[in-house]
Amino acid sequence: MRARGLLKLGGALPALAALLMVGVLAVPLVALVLSTTPDDLLDGLRHPLALAALRLSLLTTTVSLACTLLLGTPLAWWMARHPGPLERAVATLVQLPIVVPPAVSGLALLLAFGRRGLLGPLLERAGWALPFTTAAVVLAELFVSAPFYVQSAAAAFRRLDEDLLWAARSLGAGPARRFFTVALPLSRPGVVTGAALGWARALGEFGATLMFAGNLTGRTQTLPLAIYTALESDLRPAKALSVLMVVVALAVLLLLGRANVSEAIRARA
Amino acid sequence: MLELELDVVRGGFALEVALSLPAGPTVLVGPNGAGKSTLLRAILGAVPVRRGRIVLEGITLLDTARGVSLPAERRHVGWVPQDQALFPHLSVAENVAFGSPGAGGRVRAGAMLEQLGLTRLATRRPGALSGGERQKVALARALAAGPRALLLDEPLAALDAGTRETTRALLAETLRTLAIPSLVVTHDARDVVALAAPLVLLEGGHVRASGPLSVVRSAPGDFARSLLGTMSRPLDTAAASGNE
Repeated sequence: MRARGLLKLGGALPALAALLMVGVLAVPLVALVLSTTPDDLLDGLRHPLALAALRLSLLTTTVSLACTLLLGTPLAWWMARHPGPLERAVATLVQLPIVVPPAVSGLALLLAFGRRGLLGPLLERAGWALPFTTAAVVLAELFVSAPFYVQSAAAAFRRLDEDLLWAARSLGAGPARRFFTVALPLSRPGVVTGAALGWARALGEFGATLMFAGNLTGRTQTLPLAIYTALESDLRPAKALSVLMVVVALAVLLLLGRANVSEAIRARA
Repeated sequence: MLELELDVVRGGFALEVALSLPAGPTVLVGPNGAGKSTLLRAILGAVPVRRGRIVLEGITLLDTARGVSLPAERRHVGWVPQDQALFPHLSVAENVAFGSPGAGGRVRAGAMLEQLGLTRLATRRPGALSGGERQKVALARALAAGPRALLLDEPLAALDAGTRETTRALLAETLRTLAIPSLVVTHDARDVVALAAPLVLLEGGHVRASGPLSVVRSAPGDFARSLLGTMSRPLDTAAASGNE
């Protein structure tokens, strides 16, 4: 009798734990959405703080995504094609910004590009002062988001069937043609996933931006910083922007799910 | 004419081969691990060659002594690997036209589809093809690029019995009418008969024998004897039926 009771409890406990987990993840988001009336949303989005932040976030994440693609794709390709000790060292280096706390990233960026930083004098001579500029926001976003892209793209490139590339070569295709007509289309799911995850991470970047770029409306105050700032005065823009960011995040996830599903359907066809 | 002298070392395996292949098919036989696929890949340029020379129709593709090594994309060597390596994201027509971009190339690709009876499959993806169809598409793709030599790695091995017969006949006819050297790896004695081509017997990375079937059969070693065994029956059948 007691054994059976324990057994029942043993079956119920994991279910309870799972339910609790869902609750912890869901309740904050539900609270956010429930506490924001449509009026709040409209008023909040019309707030001057919100518009400027929205514009700046779109601009900086677009630029940082473009930089990620332009610089990260060749790196991911190199990593996939040259396995070895050097590649492993580079791979570890690329992974670090994912696990390093944002505050540490911010300090590291300051110590590298700040006026007294490692490259500060060099930049100053060139007439550039990075900290507390929009360029600093882009750099902070690039630093924290590029690793997601590089990792995902490199993994996709590693999965490529080598013989397809040799077949393309035997048909006269040079490096550029092989990459753009064979390697890239076949690695698309991994590349797109990496780009979307990286972009979402850049959009949410807070700590490193605050430390390295500051919190200047219209120049360095991105969406997360605007939410943080609004908390101190008017909660409505904070709530509106938060809901907006949750919606955008959801859209990214749905888009990725669809892209991967359609890819799977295509592969089966 | 494809002339080659190759010295390839991969891991613990050494391949040392000197061959001269005339226009038309040559059949490459040998036990598993003899180095057949490695030889094809070395000619293609996909395997580093320690020492050697490859000359195709007077053009030096590789000469380690002079430091010459044309990249695979400039060797004009067609290659059909065992699993065909068709581009899964491209249609049959796009696969076949891959090696000959431009309007002229599309015409040639269309003609090649026609010749191999693939026109009705033009819009399909490789994933929707049967084994025999895939093999034909791979052959069409390699030929449409206008290669100066052709390498086929067990082109019929993965096909079921019925498809194999018809594909074999088509392959034999296509290769016979080609004016370029082609090297066909096979395990199947009937392929040798159908292709009616000179043989090269590769064993342990070395050419054990080469020449017409009768010569290669009398070569010493287990594989030549087993080749003799498997080949005598289909040979007789082939002679009796006239044409396989």
